[in-house]
This record gives sequence, structure tokens and C-alpha cells, in this order.
Amino acid sequence: MTLTIIIFSILAAVLFLINLRNGKHWDGIKSGFKQLVSALPIILLAMLLAGILETLIPEEFIKRWLSQEAGLTGIFLGTLGGLLMAFGPYASYPIIAIIYHSGAGLGTTIAMMAGWSFLNLVKLPFEGGFLGYKFSLLRIGLGLPLCVLAGLIAHLIEVLL
Amino acid sequence: MKNTSITLVVAVVILMLVLFYIGGTVLVLESLNRAWHTAMRAFVMIIIAFIVIGQLQVLISSDMIKQWLDKYSGNKSIVVSSLAGGLFPGGPYIFYPFLASFKGKGIPFYLIFSFVAGKQSYDVTRLPLEAGLTTPGLAILRNLITFPFPFIMGFIARRYFPEGFNNFSQEEGNR
Repeated sequence: MTLTIIIFSILAAVLFLINLRNGKHWDGIKSGFKQLVSALPIILLAMLLAGILETLIPEEFIKRWLSQEAGLTGIFLGTLGGLLMAFGPYASYPIIAIIYHSGAGLGTTIAMMAGWSFLNLVKLPFEGGFLGYKFSLLRIGLGLPLCVLAGLIAHLIEVLL
Repeated sequence: MKNTSITLVVAVVILMLVLFYIGGTVLVLESLNRAWHTAMRAFVMIIIAFIVIGQLQVLISSDMIKQWLDKYSGNKSIVVSSLAGGLFPGGPYIFYPFLASFKGKGIPFYLIFSFVAGKQSYDVTRLPLEAGLTTPGLAILRNLITFPFPFIMGFIARRYFPEGFNNFSQEEGNR
């Protein structure tokens, strides 16, 4: 985590300096701060929910359905979980992290992350409204096997390494 | 945002009651303790992530993306469109109206499709959150594995749905 903080701090500083040349750096700070303030309640609630889930979900369930040993079942469940996790990133990522830390397999976790990224139902009302629901169906239809594939690749990485 | 908050509050309250029913105050306090540790672990990263997001949003404009999309064609355009989707700033309430503005203006369906897939996969403003709120390792692995997916989706759309859907450029294009 420390390395990530250092890398993103450098990135933030570089972007700040680039925007400084155009005189837009404070607009960036304001924009980021505004979004942080509006997202913070959701982030905190999601972390609370993640803490509850971590305490509530029995270890046996994770082992049987979501762990590396669950194999393809875990990958399918992960993809489905990502599809149905109808929250934004602030809420979904902490929940996914807790499921991973509780013992879910890498394949399941990556399938869930991919499923959430590609199949997420949260954007459906916007997408369907502006681009048509056939567009959304095609996106989900093409994305679904790819998310399972992502889970399989991650599962193989975990098994082989 | 408001609906998400309400859903989360309802879920938290219901699950807290379930926890209390199963294990009393001890289990409730244990879950609060775990949530606190998660929050503390991610706190600094969240602050930095939002600084990066804010700076990216003022740096990359919709006009810049529009210029890129106009410049390329064929398979190369699918790659450019996917990457441009990942760089596009803003949430769905900005992103989808922006895309809808292209309909009926001669931009092929598969480019719009790969643009959406690119936004879903590469979204640069989401990456700091993904790394900070899950783990950097998971975020990197997910991005590496799914990196070609938007291209694949774009190529399939180009091959099998070259014209998009009947209603795509007609009725909805006039929206």
C-alpha cells in the first residue's frame, strides 16, 4: 500500500504541475474535493457494510463456494456477483476487497471485478435511455463470457504460481 | 448517489440487526472494528485518489476526445476509441449524453461500442479508487487481464453488427 501511495502521490503532483501551467490546478483540486465530499458518506457506509459482511459470511461458505477450490463455480458466482452488485465504485470495491481477504479465490475475485466493470447494472438506466436497451444487451452478452474468461485466467495464475 | 446511500443504509441496518440477533453486541462491535481498520488503511489513498481524479478531469476535455475519434478509422479506430473511452472524464450522467450526441453524425456503431467498453475497463479516474479500495495487486491484475477486452468487443461489433441496430441511428439518434 505504501508503494501505491507513493506512486499516486507522484502522479497527483505531476498532474497538478501540468494543470498549473494552464492555470487550472485549483479547478482540479476543487473538483476532486467536491467529489470526495459527495462520495465520502457512500465510502464510509460501504466500509461499514464490508465490515459486517466480513463478520457475517461464514468461513465455510467462502471455502465451499468462492475459494480457489470452488474453481469454475466460484468464477461463475463471482461474475454474477459483479453483475448484480448494483453500486458505484466507492461501495463495490471495499466489498470486493473484503470478500477477497475472507478467502475467496483469485479467479472469483477477478471475475467479480471484471463483472462489476463490464456488466454492472448501475449504468443500465443511463445506457438504455441514451443508447438503447439492445445496445446494453449486446454489451452484457459479449461481456459475460469475457468476464468468466478473466476469472479463468486469474484462477490459472493462482494455481500455477 | 442518493439512491445508493439509501440502499446502503437499509442494508447496513438490516445486517446489523441480523448480527445482533446471531451474536449480540460482541459481533456488532467486531464488525465495527473491522470497518474501522479498513477505513484507516484506505484513508490516505482515498484522499490522493480524489486529487488525481480532480486533476485528470480538468486536464482531459470532451473536445479533446472528440478530435481523437474523428481522426481514425478501421481497426485502429477501435483501439483509439477504447482508449479514449478510458480517458473520458465524468460519470454516466456526462458520459452517455456525450455519446448520444454522436449518434446520427456518421460515427460507426462499433466505435461507440468500443468507447463504452473502454470506459468500463480502463476508466483512469476509477483506477486510483480500484487500487486504493481493493489492493494494488488486484487492480493491476484485473487491468492486465481485461486490457484486450474492449478491443475484442469492438472487433466483434464491427464484424457482426456493422450497422448497429435499426433504431440506433434513427429514432434514438434524433433524441
